[in-house]
Amino acid sequence: MGHNVLYIEDNPDNMTLVQRALETRGYKLLKAKNGLDGVKTAETEDVDLILLDINLPDIDGYEVAQRLRSSQKIALKTVPIIAVTANALKGDAEKALNAGCDVYMSKPINIRELWARVEAFVPMP
Amino acid sequence: MNTTKSLAHPDLLSYMTHLECSGCGREYTYNEIHTFCPFCQSPLLTIYNLKKARQHVDRDAISRRTRGMWRWAELLPVQHPENRIFLGEGDTPLLRLFHFEKLLGLKNLFLKDESSNPTGSFKARGLSAAVSRAKELGVQKVIIPTAGNAGGAMAAYAARAGLKAYIFMPKDTPFANVEESRMAGAEVILVDGLISDAAGMAGEKARAEGWFDVSTFKEPYRVEGKKVMGYELAESFGWELPDVIIYPTGGGTGLVGMWKAFAEMEELGWLRNTKRPRMVSVQAEGCAPVVRAFEKGASFCDFWINAHTIASGLRVPKSFADHLILQDIYESKGTAIGVSDEMILDAQKRLAQLEGIFAAPEGAATLAALLQLIEKKWVQPEERIVLFNTGSGLKYLDYKSH
Repeated sequence: MGHNVLYIEDNPDNMTLVQRALETRGYKLLKAKNGLDGVKTAETEDVDLILLDINLPDIDGYEVAQRLRSSQKIALKTVPIIAVTANALKGDAEKALNAGCDVYMSKPINIRELWARVEAFVPMP
Repeated sequence: MNTTKSLAHPDLLSYMTHLECSGCGREYTYNEIHTFCPFCQSPLLTIYNLKKARQHVDRDAISRRTRGMWRWAELLPVQHPENRIFLGEGDTPLLRLFHFEKLLGLKNLFLKDESSNPTGSFKARGLSAAVSRAKELGVQKVIIPTAGNAGGAMAAYAARAGLKAYIFMPKDTPFANVEESRMAGAEVILVDGLISDAAGMAGEKARAEGWFDVSTFKEPYRVEGKKVMGYELAESFGWELPDVIIYPTGGGTGLVGMWKAFAEMEELGWLRNTKRPRMVSVQAEGCAPVVRAFEKGASFCDFWINAHTIASGLRVPKSFADHLILQDIYESKGTAIGVSDEMILDAQKRLAQLEGIFAAPEGAATLAALLQLIEKKWVQPEERIVLFNTGSGLKYLDYKSH
């Protein structure tokens, strides 16, 4: 099993925070700044886990999750997806899970929780 | 004379030394405004020079001081006495529940009744500390998301401190909480959603406007006010701790705060022995993220979907300090237990009819939990058990009229 984590996120601060947190644990971070790039990266690269922001500048995270789950690339039907969003608005968590995400996390991202969530799917290298 | 116009204990100075991240241990100065750790995004806790305090602070002298939370000022995070915003918080009664003892076959059952705090709930303690610190740090505007009582408390303390308060509440928050907040001059924004929705909006507003966000555990000081409940308990029991504390858990500030107080008292050498209570976290079955995580042995909670309960203070889908709450429960060899709204309402009625205490539903939930714990033989008849009533039932009359 690989240790490639794709983070789909338009906020550079969050990207830096997560990159630092995951790379210190030996994971390789793949980055996408919007939903369409995220789907494309997931389809072309080997990805073991996806962190998915919900509020993206083009298509939202729900749509990204749906596209990933219905992709021609079979591995994307089961790749773990952790939804992450700042706006824990009514029904957001439920919508994320219904769209195909496995877990829901709200921002601010607690790094210890992030490690625990990621390691639950992809053991630390 | 300690009137509300005089300073609360003007001669006492804090032993606060710095703030420390509960996740990564990074240290921060207390002279600046901090929210949570920017590196690992965990709550910050206030650290005191307890070695020095051990030499100079006499617990028995504290017991002789004028009543109120600020008699513990050396162990609270405000440096300058003139910044302490005092409305009479703290020193709530510890009531013996004689009738329930008889009924349930228990010998040492108590209830710490927090409803006698200003604004009718335990939230006064945390907001007194947080607003006092905000004032000390030169903050002008404070903002809070709340399921109810914290809003009323913040509005009151902010008014007294001369700060402008902005409060984000779910639209089904008890009417009393909305009204008391508006009465104290706060701007109240009603949100179509839960406290987590309100927190998202308040957080965005705080970031955009630069207001001080007093959300649970997203600043380091509310927990300091709440921890005094732990000091008071120890003092009440002759500097021993009870065997079991049954505590309603929404954001978890009180539970985490008391556990912090117990550790501090141990370091101060104030306790007669090192025996700590087993902490019982009580949640509503309709929103029980801590219970679910505890049952799985997890270190974090999953976000609770479709949270619902009449106990608005327990409608917290995921606390920002879930890791600390769970850590303290595990460390105490405690447990977490969910109770239904029906059980809460029944317990509320029985508390009022047998003991004359009209508890908030969150407080009544602790009695409902106790009944389950007795059935499971998790508590023993001789044990010293403390329930917490976190607020007055009078603030929740909305659902009574439905």
